[in-house]
Amino acid sequence: MTLLRLISWPYFRRHVLRTLLTVAGIVLGVAVFVGMHTANHTVLDGFSRTVDRIAGKTEIQVTAGETGFDEEILDKVQSASTVRVAVPVIEAVVDTNAIDHGGQGNLLILGIDMTGDRSLRDYDLESGEDAVIDDPLVFLAQPDSLMLSKEFADKNHITVGSRLPLGTAEGEKPFTVRGVMKSSALTSAFGGNLAVMDIYAAQKMFGRGRTFDRIDLAVRPGRTIAECERELQTMLGPGFQVEPPSGRGQQFEAMLAAYSMMVNISSAFALFIGMFIIYNSFAIAVTQRRSEIGILRALGATRRQIRWLFLGESAVTGLIGSIGGVVFGVVIARGIAASIGTLISDVYGQTQSTTEALATDPRLLGVALVIGILTSLVAAAIPARNAARVDPVQALQKGKYQVLSAGESRLRAMLAAVLGAIALVCLVAPPLTSASRQAGGARALFYLGFSLVIVVALLLSPLLSLGLAKALRPLLTRLRPVEGVLAADSLIQAPRRTSASVAALMLSLTLVVAFAGMARASYDSIINWMQTALNPDLFVMPSQSIVVRTIRFPPSVGPDIAAIPGVERVQTVRDARIVFRKTPIMLVAIEVASMAQTAQRVPVAGNADQMYRRAGAGEGLIVSDNLALLQHLSLGEMLEIPAPNGLVRLPIVGIIVDFSDQQGTIFVDRRQFLKYWGDDSVNVVRVYLKPGVQMPDVRQRILERFAGQRQVFVLTNAELKAYILRVTDQWFGLTSIQIAVAVLVAILGIVNTLTVSITDRRRELGVLQAVGGLQGQIRRTIWLEALSIAVIGLTLGFVLGAINLYYILQIVQYDIGGMRLDYEFPYPTMLALVPVMLAAAFVAAIWPAESAVRGSLVEALEYE
Amino acid sequence: MSTATAIELDRVTKQFEGKRNVMALDSVSLAIPRGEMVAIIGPSGSGKSTLLNLIGGLDRPSAGHVRVDGEELSNLSDDGLTKVRRDKIGFIFQFFNLLPTLSCLENVGLPLHLRGWTRKKVDERARELLDLVQLGARMQHLPDELSGGERQRVAIARALSIYPPILLADEPTGNLDTHTGAEILTLIRDLHARLKSTVVIVTHDMNVAQSCERTIALRDGAIVEDVRRRAASPGEDVRRKHTGVGAPE
Ligand SMILES: Nc1ncnc2c1ncn2[C@@H]1O[C@H](COP(=O)(O)OP(=O)(O)OP(=O)(O)O)[C@@H](O)[C@H]1O
Ligand SMILES: [Mg+2]
Repeated sequence: MTLLRLISWPYFRRHVLRTLLTVAGIVLGVAVFVGMHTANHTVLDGFSRTVDRIAGKTEIQVTAGETGFDEEILDKVQSASTVRVAVPVIEAVVDTNAIDHGGQGNLLILGIDMTGDRSLRDYDLESGEDAVIDDPLVFLAQPDSLMLSKEFADKNHITVGSRLPLGTAEGEKPFTVRGVMKSSALTSAFGGNLAVMDIYAAQKMFGRGRTFDRIDLAVRPGRTIAECERELQTMLGPGFQVEPPSGRGQQFEAMLAAYSMMVNISSAFALFIGMFIIYNSFAIAVTQRRSEIGILRALGATRRQIRWLFLGESAVTGLIGSIGGVVFGVVIARGIAASIGTLISDVYGQTQSTTEALATDPRLLGVALVIGILTSLVAAAIPARNAARVDPVQALQKGKYQVLSAGESRLRAMLAAVLGAIALVCLVAPPLTSASRQAGGARALFYLGFSLVIVVALLLSPLLSLGLAKALRPLLTRLRPVEGVLAADSLIQAPRRTSASVAALMLSLTLVVAFAGMARASYDSIINWMQTALNPDLFVMPSQSIVVRTIRFPPSVGPDIAAIPGVERVQTVRDARIVFRKTPIMLVAIEVASMAQTAQRVPVAGNADQMYRRAGAGEGLIVSDNLALLQHLSLGEMLEIPAPNGLVRLPIVGIIVDFSDQQGTIFVDRRQFLKYWGDDSVNVVRVYLKPGVQMPDVRQRILERFAGQRQVFVLTNAELKAYILRVTDQWFGLTSIQIAVAVLVAILGIVNTLTVSITDRRRELGVLQAVGGLQGQIRRTIWLEALSIAVIGLTLGFVLGAINLYYILQIVQYDIGGMRLDYEFPYPTMLALVPVMLAAAFVAAIWPAESAVRGSLVEALEYE
Repeated sequence: MSTATAIELDRVTKQFEGKRNVMALDSVSLAIPRGEMVAIIGPSGSGKSTLLNLIGGLDRPSAGHVRVDGEELSNLSDDGLTKVRRDKIGFIFQFFNLLPTLSCLENVGLPLHLRGWTRKKVDERARELLDLVQLGARMQHLPDELSGGERQRVAIARALSIYPPILLADEPTGNLDTHTGAEILTLIRDLHARLKSTVVIVTHDMNVAQSCERTIALRDGAIVEDVRRRAASPGEDVRRKHTGVGAPE
């Protein structure tokens, strides 16, 4: 403790910049960790809380994926012996922003049956006639009735009797506010943006036909929830999910699995970079403070004391950095949460409340603090050990650099060779037993190999950067005889000083290569898919977004559009999320026979003709490639999909590449879907035009055909594709923040290395000036040194990145998205990166170079 | 364990391996009794510093034995050596080796902090020693703000802070002008007399050497001369006047 105060504190004070850089490393890592996870929690919590608050006294909910089910199921459930009360529910989110007069954000509309619902939920009115709820008939008699939460009413200055226009399946409709509900758990659901309407009105407004989304129920006194679940499950069959309200939160989480994986990789990487910065700073500090260590040792400090001194420093740095990181993380969490919210509503069609409070979990923050400190300690462990091993006699001899000893280099090279060989074995071994390729053990081996590759790269980076520096020397000499040699020699003399920065640079560039490569491959595949699968001229939808499925068309919309002049062919599509093997996946009902003629897809497994024929005849299912990969399905395999009207048992007749959903997609013929799910609603109508017809004309005709009757959005082919690419951009946008951060970190690393290099060479630079070196020459020496570091980092980064990309694509294919992506080195991004990194290195060198020039000559020569 | 011999070297050899093997010390045997003040002289590269480092347990011999206060150093672990250093040995260096970020008081207190003393006790002792070397007025100054002689006095106070039975000084006056060098030497001699420490001084300065009871000359890693003379001190009273402290009774 005293040592920390006496020795470390003054050191920190004298090297404010470096200390800040060190702390920044941990701040960064922890902030990204906290920010990402808090944002994630906020979104997940927001969802669960909304589910919870809406659930009221509900003990069990009955659903059938997103498809909804027939009204008669309610009678069945109510007749069950274990059920006390069961009520139907419809939920829909409407975007009030879509309406010109008054943007109030997303509003969650709960369609309920006022007669029975009050035994599960409280609807106390703040204002308005109590008769509205006391006599449900009043409510029922007026289908435009709406009750608002006090929160929403207050925020938007709406009072009882006001008219509120809402976009519904039948077009924009004015609703009358008949009551404002007192604040309660219920009204605070969905960030307070809640409205209640009669369930039969809701069926009509949101195109539900005669179906309900869900049944909420309470168990008869004396019976257990488990008993009730069992009774209902047996009664209704496997096509229904019978579970407590919390089950929906889990479903939601499962749906976001790919996203969460991304978050985890990102925050792990951020921490790793943070760890590296700490390691870098401490490794440098130990080299710089060798004589201080020598003095302490001569004065009687034990090795343990020296080691604890450095570990103590790193713990303090870690603590301060973690606190900063937690604060900063919470600050950025709001922004990240908003972008996750957008992503989720754009990708998954789950509209989020935009006003949820940030879910700062104290446990998460505690964990972040601990992780920050641990990361810092782990990072400092090796430098601290090296510090403890400093030989006091040598340390007290002045002007000696700590060079890489031949023994250490050999050790590193040997270790790298051994680990590299193991990594290779890990990579090659699994295919030998290709049956087990997807088995857990093989995956573990794969990840082991991946980590080993990174470790090997880190082990080799000092040797490789030394080698590259030596290779650069003649080039630099040719460029600038004096400055070039000095810059090269500075790199060669102190490989330790350089290699940490090079390694940081290498790691971040590796990530850039991997993500750029992944993005590029994804774009290529997605564009390819869009070209064949999304070839209709127009897409007609009941809501603005293609992924929002809470508002739907009745089946009559298909023929209605087909009858419009200029339309050649229409195809109706109904997609719904269902639960398949405990995973939420997408079920898409299509008119197979018609699709076969317009959008022939080449299957990755199976024969195209057969696939379309059998699927069209209701003899089989088509599954997406990613579903097959993630769930290990193969052609011909018999699938069992529980549906409300019974179990669907059909073989896989074809596997096609499809990016409709990250968890996978099953395509079923529309007639099968109607039979088993009894849901005849439509999400999208695909419209093909007659040759020579003007697209804008037809679009106008469609809009006019439904004006005043139903809400219709028409997207052209180009608009839809642009929309999908935008969503893809958003997906990679989150990771590009990460890339920017990583590049920034690399720049900080170079600044760090250069300042140290200058202090180390104060005397040399002083002598140079004393014997007539011009300031410009000194400056150029430093610049060249920085540029060389960048060049070395770029070289190593590209090489490791190329290897890393292979692994990342494998992970994407088998563990995240099930996307089969082609390996393609992202040359354009990389070429663009070269000038960026060189410029960054130059920027990083400006300040150190000036300080080297301005450093007092006398002082420099006096230095020991 | 207490013996009359403070330092004993038995056929100590130190070889540095490198591009060219250097025999820094070649089978040196030597005994220094408790309380003796010894000067080690010899040309540059003759092995003086090496010898001192071996005695101080900073380095280990290639062959032979070093005993300090009867304790065999080669048997000790690194921590054992450190313990010998912290309990028995005070170092004074040619280049002072003060920590530039610490005040004089803190520099002097450093070895005591390393021993885990309480801050109050450390400050008390450090003050006492800075008074002893007549720097009581510069306690809060940083080393950079002192002259060379003053810095060396701080270094001496630091070496003495633990009241070490053995004081090792490697060219303590080498970096000082003649006058200041003489002052430092007087101070060391005075402290030697007062604390009864065993003192080993490596020096190039013949005046320094002559004022010691015994002079050992090294050349090419071997002892070429070992002379004891009757302590020819310039006079007790002079020193007393100079330093303002008297010998303990
Ligand atoms: N760490 C080392 N590695 C290799 N050789 C060394 C090392 N330290 C000392 N030597 C060599 O050992 C010999 C004795 O060195 P030493 O430092 O003991 O000499 P010295 O008598 O103190 O010289 P000076 O009066 O110049 O200080 C020299 O030849 C020196 O080059
Ligand atoms: Mg010497």
